[in-house]
Amino acid sequence: MARKTFAAAALVGVALVALPAAGQGLRYAEDLAPAIVNPLFTTTMSEARVNELLFSGLYTDDQDLATSPALVAYASLADDQLSMELSLKPDLRWHDGQPVTADDVVFTIEAMRDDDTLSTEAGRVSWIDEATAVDSGTVRLTFTTPQATPEDKLYFKILPRHAFDSTTVSRSDAFRTNPVGSGPYRLARFNDDNSISFTPHSTFDGGVGISELVMREVSDKNYQAKLLLYESLEALVRVLPRDLAVLQNNRKVELYPYQTNSWWYVGFNLERAPFDDVRVRSALSMLIDVDALLAPVGTGEVLSGPFVKSSPFYNHDVPYDGYDPGEASRLLQEAGFDNSSGAWMRDGEALTFTLNAHQTLESSQEVVINLQSQLQNHGVEVSVDFLDEAAWKSRVWRERDFDAILSQWSFDRNEDVREQLHSDGLRNFGGYESERVDELLDTARDASDPFAKKAALRELHAVVAQDQPMIFLWTLDSYAALSTRVSDVVIHPFYFFTFVNQWRMN
Amino acid sequence: MRRELVLAVLAALGAFVAALAGVALLLQILLASAPGDAADLISDDPVLRAALVEAWRLDEPVLSRWLAWTVDAMGGDLGESLTYRPGQAVTELVLPALARSLVLVGGALVLSLTGGLGLAWWTAGRRSATRRLVQALSVTPVFLLAWLLMAGLNEAAFGLMEGGQIARPAWFALPDEDSWLKTLLAISVLAVGSSALGEIHAALEDELLRIQRASFVEALRVRGVALGPHLLRALLAPLATIAGGRASFFVGGLVVVETVLHVGGLGSLLWQACRLRDYPLALGIGVVAGALVCGARLASDVARITVDPRLSRAP
Repeated sequence: MARKTFAAAALVGVALVALPAAGQGLRYAEDLAPAIVNPLFTTTMSEARVNELLFSGLYTDDQDLATSPALVAYASLADDQLSMELSLKPDLRWHDGQPVTADDVVFTIEAMRDDDTLSTEAGRVSWIDEATAVDSGTVRLTFTTPQATPEDKLYFKILPRHAFDSTTVSRSDAFRTNPVGSGPYRLARFNDDNSISFTPHSTFDGGVGISELVMREVSDKNYQAKLLLYESLEALVRVLPRDLAVLQNNRKVELYPYQTNSWWYVGFNLERAPFDDVRVRSALSMLIDVDALLAPVGTGEVLSGPFVKSSPFYNHDVPYDGYDPGEASRLLQEAGFDNSSGAWMRDGEALTFTLNAHQTLESSQEVVINLQSQLQNHGVEVSVDFLDEAAWKSRVWRERDFDAILSQWSFDRNEDVREQLHSDGLRNFGGYESERVDELLDTARDASDPFAKKAALRELHAVVAQDQPMIFLWTLDSYAALSTRVSDVVIHPFYFFTFVNQWRMN
Repeated sequence: MRRELVLAVLAALGAFVAALAGVALLLQILLASAPGDAADLISDDPVLRAALVEAWRLDEPVLSRWLAWTVDAMGGDLGESLTYRPGQAVTELVLPALARSLVLVGGALVLSLTGGLGLAWWTAGRRSATRRLVQALSVTPVFLLAWLLMAGLNEAAFGLMEGGQIARPAWFALPDEDSWLKTLLAISVLAVGSSALGEIHAALEDELLRIQRASFVEALRVRGVALGPHLLRALLAPLATIAGGRASFFVGGLVVVETVLHVGGLGSLLWQACRLRDYPLALGIGVVAGALVCGARLASDVARITVDPRLSRAP
């Protein structure tokens, strides 16, 4: 009692000003505030989430994650699947009150394609040959190749032509601090503490339920859950596994599970020995007890290929070759290794490698330490090197200077693994090459029949599982956490705020 | 005396400019040797990357980048941010951050010097547990001290709020809300942690003992004059020396304290700039921080010479 009285007295000294209970706004946390608010230059998920609040695309996802019109009222695809006409909804307005027109759509596509814009999103419209405004509310798109479901690719955000001087847009354009969109929220202000305040777009189709949103920068991920418990935040985009139990037991917080198209893997540099030998890669995968690796970092599903289990492309017929040290020994011996000394050796050289991991990959430290320990117990020495974002991009992505990496891929609902697995893929930094996989990826890309695409990608799963350019680990169960004051919450697994206009504050 | 003072100030100004140029070059070398660059963070597309590298002159030799930057900086142009806030002038980012950091460094100097002086006065020539207590508290690293204090205050306030004993304080919860308490906490952590207070206390205690043994103090004592004002006056020069030295220490501590307590000052901005390989921003901060340190030393020298003109004639 005395201690409590003392603590109260001490705090009264600093609690001179009391605030009323939190207002009707919703505050959510990001590790790092967006550097730039312009969909032409999106590079981080925090920027993508802000874009989701401020901008609309021609199409979006519905709550079943099926394609649904956003700015578009109706569309007609030509019989040859080489062109499409899109009619915009009438009375659409930008945040500044100007009407949304077909010219804006044409401008956006041209700005993304403009070589001098240096847009990071240029690839999203590379399949569009030409965009023309038929009239103020109608756009005609022509395609470079037949497209069975072009609406699936028309998710990119539309920009207001009147806010720019030309289709050549600079990263430093004033738009980055004064963005004008047609999404459910408009940017009200950038605050001194790096937070950003958003207010509702008054003419947004269907209205908006929460009167203010604030993005707060909380660089310490470990502290975000605390701030939610303290009611200094109302939403966490992703809860760290170690915070789940505490939040689950708090009556002021509700957890929202969601399925992401993300999977973890250990990738090998196939241009370096001994990872150029599939037997070595397979053996290493059999020396790893994936379930034991997963247990400390959360719950999820162990995978045998490059899709999550709920994906239509996941091939459930491909067996998961689990932990099997006996078979691993056989494969290593077949590959010329000997472990009579306790460590696997070939030609006088030990089987050792460096595992690189990204510093910001959640729970990667636990995984790496466990993985190191498991392999060491089986005679494989692993050293570990954590890299920050810039070092990761340069060493792993650009220079390909690595033995093996622990990482994660996240996809939107198209689950396009072409860049990761095609021999020409920009993100195939392991150097995987398979003629059959290239063919299957081409088939999947060009297929107008969804069943043909599914069949191709399921076969790809089987081929890749056998070639094992990487050890597929798991997809983690993800949870968002929101204050119970927020209701009608539906979360988009990738963009998070797609359905935010329906959320309400009680 | 005036001429000697002017010469000393001119010499210090020359050293100041040379030090800033050196800081800029050193930072250029360090940033260039770090793996990855700003373009790596933007795109994995080789064509786009090549265009960014050219636009941002990342392919130029360090020395040529340094020269170009120095010429622009001498005209007052510190360039534009590349990745932290693309296109924003570095001065627009650095100046508000400098104002916040000055409050912390200035506050920490005042607090540590007055605290150290008070403690020295209390413990000089005595066997005191206070000395050991101060040393033990002060040896705590600033990041740990900041985190412990922040977590402790948050937990205590939350417990009392949940129990209905206090209303929600305006500062709650740290470090999310900007408040005078957060500023005070940052100043206190800088002033005390990583041995700052302990070392200042020990140095001032030594000075005080030395002065107390001086012959003029003995003479004053014999004449029955109050010693306090004379001792304080004699301590001004050592205080100025300590302040000049400590300023650089506190500027260095800003990176940790501002990052932990989420203060948007030079330290946290430098951390982000380095993480994002934002060279112009990192250089701008480095040079401004260098100027702060050099300025503090200059002010310290001027103060010492003003207080004790004999120092300007010292070999």
